[in-house]
Amino acid sequence: MLARRIGGKLGSLVLTLFLVSLLVFFSRFLVPGDPVSFLLRGRKPSPEAIAAVTEQYGLNLPVWQQYINWLTGILQGDFGRSLQFRQDVSVVVGERLPVTLMLVVMAGLIIGVLGLTSGIIASLNRGRPLDRAILIGLTMLGAIPSFVGAIVLIAIFAVQLGWFPTFGSGEGFADTIYHLTLPSIALALVFVVLVGKVTRSSMVEQLGREHVEVATSRGLRRAVVIRRHVFRNAIGPILTVSGLLVAGLLVASSIVEAAFGVAGIGSLLVQSVDRLDFPVVQAIVLLVVTAFVVVNGIIDVLEPWIDPRSAAGGSAR
Amino acid sequence: MTLLEISELTLDLPNGSRLLDGISLRIEEGETVGLVGESGSGKSLTARAVIGLLPDQARTTGSVRLGQTEVLGASVAELLELRRHTASMIFQDPRAGINPMRTIGDHLTEALRLCEGKSAAEANARAKELLAAVRLPRPEDHMHQHPHELSGGMLQRVMIAGALTSSPQLLICDEPTTALDVTTQAEIVAVLSEQRASRGMGMLFITHDLNLAASLCDRVYVMSGGKVEEHGTARAVFGNPQTPYTRRLIEATPSISLSAAETAALAQQSGTLTAAGQGETEPMLAVEGLSKSYRRRGKATVDAVKAVSVSIPRGGALGVVGESGSGKSTLARMIVGLESADAGGIRVDGRDRTTVPRTRAERLAHARSVQMVFQDPYLSLDPRIAAGRSIEDALRLHGTLDSRAARSRVLELLDQVGLAEQYADARPRTLSGGQRQRVAIARALAIEPDVLVMDEATSALDVSVQAQVLDLVADIRKARGLTVLFISHDLAVVRRVCDETVVMKAGEIVERGQSVQLLAAPQHPYTRLLLDSIPRPAWESDPRESAAANA
Repeated sequence: MLARRIGGKLGSLVLTLFLVSLLVFFSRFLVPGDPVSFLLRGRKPSPEAIAAVTEQYGLNLPVWQQYINWLTGILQGDFGRSLQFRQDVSVVVGERLPVTLMLVVMAGLIIGVLGLTSGIIASLNRGRPLDRAILIGLTMLGAIPSFVGAIVLIAIFAVQLGWFPTFGSGEGFADTIYHLTLPSIALALVFVVLVGKVTRSSMVEQLGREHVEVATSRGLRRAVVIRRHVFRNAIGPILTVSGLLVAGLLVASSIVEAAFGVAGIGSLLVQSVDRLDFPVVQAIVLLVVTAFVVVNGIIDVLEPWIDPRSAAGGSAR
Repeated sequence: MTLLEISELTLDLPNGSRLLDGISLRIEEGETVGLVGESGSGKSLTARAVIGLLPDQARTTGSVRLGQTEVLGASVAELLELRRHTASMIFQDPRAGINPMRTIGDHLTEALRLCEGKSAAEANARAKELLAAVRLPRPEDHMHQHPHELSGGMLQRVMIAGALTSSPQLLICDEPTTALDVTTQAEIVAVLSEQRASRGMGMLFITHDLNLAASLCDRVYVMSGGKVEEHGTARAVFGNPQTPYTRRLIEATPSISLSAAETAALAQQSGTLTAAGQGETEPMLAVEGLSKSYRRRGKATVDAVKAVSVSIPRGGALGVVGESGSGKSTLARMIVGLESADAGGIRVDGRDRTTVPRTRAERLAHARSVQMVFQDPYLSLDPRIAAGRSIEDALRLHGTLDSRAARSRVLELLDQVGLAEQYADARPRTLSGGQRQRVAIARALAIEPDVLVMDEATSALDVSVQAQVLDLVADIRKARGLTVLFISHDLAVVRRVCDETVVMKAGEIVERGQSVQLLAAPQHPYTRLLLDSIPRPAWESDPRESAAANA
């Protein structure tokens, strides 16, 4: 049963990635600009030079042949060569991936802790001043774009107070965390709002359910009722929304990385788009999509544990 | 010794509305006390007050003494103690009352493990014992099942078992059988009585069903509008009601017992075959060999309706009785064209209405033939559309009336269902359940359909409102010769409206005949089971015996 579920998920994962690979690869032809002219920029291209470069990067082959070469390369871990760095894409991306992952994980922790806490506190005080204060606070936070948030954070905590560095990603584990504290807060802000609001509404919905009253009537302590019957049942929607946030988090990291001068894949993506470095752009987009699909696939597979009714194909109530 | 003593309990909301007004109520040890009344009478609130489950903003005065403890103003620890050891509560809808994400075993052992500190093994053993005590077939397996895997009746047993884990002295039952079929209700009531007797528990039994209260309770309190109207032994209150409200309630309660006139009429015509409709003009509604089955993935096919044939003469009324899952709603949905039939035919006034209408013209034609009144008027009316408007929409859709003519027709229709002019502009939210159902009926009648299908149209209503709606349908039938197909799980309701009744079970008609005949002399064992399951006061004799005696 479970094996079949996971098998099915893997099948649809492969199919999704295949379709995305098509989209990613062929989108190159929709964008103005020609890789050959980029490679030969600054020089007066002789026909021989053009022919040589075209040959070297395999651009003379039919399009479908290029696609198959690209795809088979990727399957062997070879994402092609970066046009701007003249290095293997896997090396270029691999160097910067850890920083971004660290940033996203830290932001994810902040989102989880702050989002859940604010949502739970608000729901338990529904209609009271504290609930309203949290909601207003969240809405205000949500209205701040991440680049503005980043600048404000830098101005206060880095420039005025001097607690954190303004720039770079640091060396070693502890130093990296120190360097990424402000960026991860800037990245997390908008998403805290989303998770907080979903948590609140999901909790409020469950709090009104009769089974919660039944549990209370049996003499369970309030904390136990909240944990076992309210929060437990509210997890489903929270996880679903969190899964959808993954793509947004990776994309938004490009803005934050640029603002804090962090050399991660976000800033690399912006830079590569700017310089028409297609192999790098393709690799990063593929990476983001894969992360998104995998995370949501995992959440789907977990569904029967989150809501036993879904295994039976019943509708959620 | 007195188990529960409520005196002069008053409950106000911050907005000034008084929900409970001077309630006084007493339960002795081992006594069963009924609390009857219609929705909004405050009976559920009174019950919740006993274990301190009142809304936070509510302000209370008076006193609620449970055992030795004063509940109003009790500390959190005292409340927990009361809920854990003194009183337990069973709620109306077991499907809403048991956490759908946790197993049955978890529901049963939770309180034992987390409140009593029992080990998992001990708690499991106790839970299985209780599951067996409430007569669930496979306690061992049920422990690992989730609520969605059990039927409503089984879940209510789980709920009862859950309430008994703490060995309470007082069991509060809030409409524990209202969401269940009548046969299931009889089983649940039996389990409750058995447990009450073996444990010597006191019981506070809340219900809107007077017959159920009379069959179960030593004493009853009748509540209305937050006040106790009257109280006394069940027999005294129901046999000799003192207040007008109680008298109205008793009158409105449908009954399956036959009046002397009815039994006499029945005796007279015995022998003369009821050959109504034979060879006469074509019936208004003719259903021939209608079948419908649902294929479910990975499970056996369900035959919802199996070769059902019914016919209603012009102006007649046919009742369809059966439990949930008997296929009666599927039959109705096929007749109104919401569901396609696998086999068989439906003719309304001689026109074929078997297929589900596809085009706009077909839909309009079908709608003119058959209209349906649905069960829940809270769901079947659009909350944003005023009552008059929703009737007018139906008129405009089907007619060529100009706005003035449509408007006056709307008022005429509202008048017919007993609603004054001012209700035309009322949103459904501001109407009571009975008023809403009247609007729904007016809307269905607006385009003068050949046949009106009422699918459990009074099940969601209070008995007094139900009586009004039933009277209304009877009046309209008399005045306009309307043909009615009346679907209900309640034989007592059906017999008030319908001359003839069919009994459905598992998609088949098992018995048909005159409604009175069916009540007096049921032939099929299932019909007999249905009749026997209807609660009746302990002092009242079997209606069939009295029919036989009178004959």
